[in-house]
Amino acid sequence: MTTTERNVTASTAVAGGARSAGRMLLHGGTIVALIVLVIFFFAMRPDVFLTFTNVRNILYQVSILAIIAGAQTIVMVVGDFDLSVGATSALAGAVAASLMLGGVPMAVAILAALVVGLLIGLVNGLLIAYVNLSAFVATLATMTSVVGLAYLVTAGTTLFNLPAAFTNLGQGRLFEIPLPVFFAIGISVVLWLVLRFTTMGRRWYATGGNAEVSRLSGVNVRRARLIAFTAAGLISAIGGILLAARLGSASAVQGEDNMMFSVAAVFLGMTVIRSGAANLGGTMVGVAIIGVMSNGLNILGVNAYVQQVVTGLIIIAAVTLSSLRHRER
Amino acid sequence: MRRKLAAVAALATAAAMTLAGCSGSSGGGGSTDEPFRVVAFTSGNQTPIGAWWVKAVEQQADELGWDLTMIQGDFDFQKMNPAVESAIGQGADAVFDGFTDYASISSIVTAAKDAGIPIFAVDSGTEPFDGFAVNVTTDQQGIVDQTLDAIGTAIGGLSGKNVMVIGHDPHAGIRMRADLAKKALEAAGATIAGGDIQKVTSPATGRTEALALVADYLAANPNGLDAVWVGWDDAALGAAQAISEAGAAAVVTGVDATSEALAAIQSGTSPLIATVEQPWPEVNAQVTDYITEFQKSGSLPGENFEAVSTTLVDKSNAATITPSDKLG
Repeated sequence: MTTTERNVTASTAVAGGARSAGRMLLHGGTIVALIVLVIFFFAMRPDVFLTFTNVRNILYQVSILAIIAGAQTIVMVVGDFDLSVGATSALAGAVAASLMLGGVPMAVAILAALVVGLLIGLVNGLLIAYVNLSAFVATLATMTSVVGLAYLVTAGTTLFNLPAAFTNLGQGRLFEIPLPVFFAIGISVVLWLVLRFTTMGRRWYATGGNAEVSRLSGVNVRRARLIAFTAAGLISAIGGILLAARLGSASAVQGEDNMMFSVAAVFLGMTVIRSGAANLGGTMVGVAIIGVMSNGLNILGVNAYVQQVVTGLIIIAAVTLSSLRHRER
Repeated sequence: MRRKLAAVAALATAAAMTLAGCSGSSGGGGSTDEPFRVVAFTSGNQTPIGAWWVKAVEQQADELGWDLTMIQGDFDFQKMNPAVESAIGQGADAVFDGFTDYASISSIVTAAKDAGIPIFAVDSGTEPFDGFAVNVTTDQQGIVDQTLDAIGTAIGGLSGKNVMVIGHDPHAGIRMRADLAKKALEAAGATIAGGDIQKVTSPATGRTEALALVADYLAANPNGLDAVWVGWDDAALGAAQAISEAGAAAVVTGVDATSEALAAIQSGTSPLIATVEQPWPEVNAQVTDYITEFQKSGSLPGENFEAVSTTLVDKSNAATITPSDKLG
């Protein structure tokens, strides 16, 4: 082999190595980011960060977001997004609280709140799938109305003095782990099974991949989108009910940041799998990143404003990675 | 053609004279029999106190015979400010600002100045402002003194203690009292937990943000907190919940005297030991008196800023206090 040939081979190998490192970052960037964050915060506070108490803290803090991000994942699988998930969750919590304070039994109040969430999702689905409004316009409009409804239900105040059996759903513990963590895991597993192993899950993915091809293949695209938004409304309501139980109170704007963080979590998760589509496992990695980052920065005493800047930057990075994946496809 | 032109000119002149007559001020001395026209506005109508204020002012207007234009801003200054300016432009004798910081309404102040009418304000800034005829608010230093006194009593003095201060900068009152609390704590020899004021970014998520801040701090520093001073009750309830869940012994104080805070204080089991009642009905009545005086005599208050004293609410008197979210 001549010197020139050897140089070419070496430079090809270096270029190949750089390419595969780039690919690894592109394909596994979110997981790598999570691992880097965990290592970084552990290195900064080895006595605290990975202790049982703190890991439990993180899980507790992200459990409601995990549920709402699960709802967001479904609509993003079908190629849309839902701006009303935060408002729907707040209204559901307010409805449950208001009914219980009015003397309605807890089970009935929770059921009514779930129905409210389901109806909001149904309205979103009808507007988007059958009236052909864009998801942005439709869910922005319903979000506005739902926030107004939540103010009406709460009369602008914070509802409290909720029954102990109800608050126990959000504050109780099993094996020292807060109950919302179990609810979040349970709902996530069910959603993962639905998305991966059911006909509806495949139809959702097919619709999100290419609605026209899906329609020509016999998928009822409209119905698939309708069911996706309805399910998202219902799941958001579960999140809102648990948030009211966790805080022991309900207000019209409770947990309003869950909408933005749920979208961020799904985008972060889209980089995890090869297809670059929304997926539940990836979303949970995204939720974990948001939770770890918030907790770690709090422990390090980083200013909340800086935290907000960092969160925004991470969302930009996630969306950029996600779009690079799409371009690569 | 000439007749038509003359008719149009006559009509225009009549319309101009009518409009000129309409826009003349009827206030500031009660020189005419026309109703006194007040443009009232608040950005905080979606808060319990803001909603109460809207109702209270509408009721006062009925009783006093004011011609009231009430503008509710929903914290949307882009929507509210032009609406208020437009109402001033259509003719008004006075402007009544409820709970809207002067920093957000400079265009309204200019419009009122151009129209030559005064602005009377309830809790619309924490310092004197020349754009207001008067702004009556609560004494922020007094609030800090009362709450820190309650904390000091509960934990055996402030010197050498770790106290977290939680604030929210966009709210002028909370920002000022959080700064004052930090200074007072440092002067008393306490350590500010986390090194500085912990900031909550949104009032809507104040409770969950405060909960996470305190839970994370306690996870990193078990038994590292003696007290948490919080600028408002909703976040104070989140801090108290974090302390309860961590099984820590720290105490918490808030400000506002909401019904939920009062219930927590009365329960005796919550880390929330005290809050502060701000006498909004009395403040509003005081400002209304100033407006009425202006309507009668055209005279304005001698000072453009008043800070009234507040009441510390603890377990001993919580049952006697009207919650701030139940005023209306």
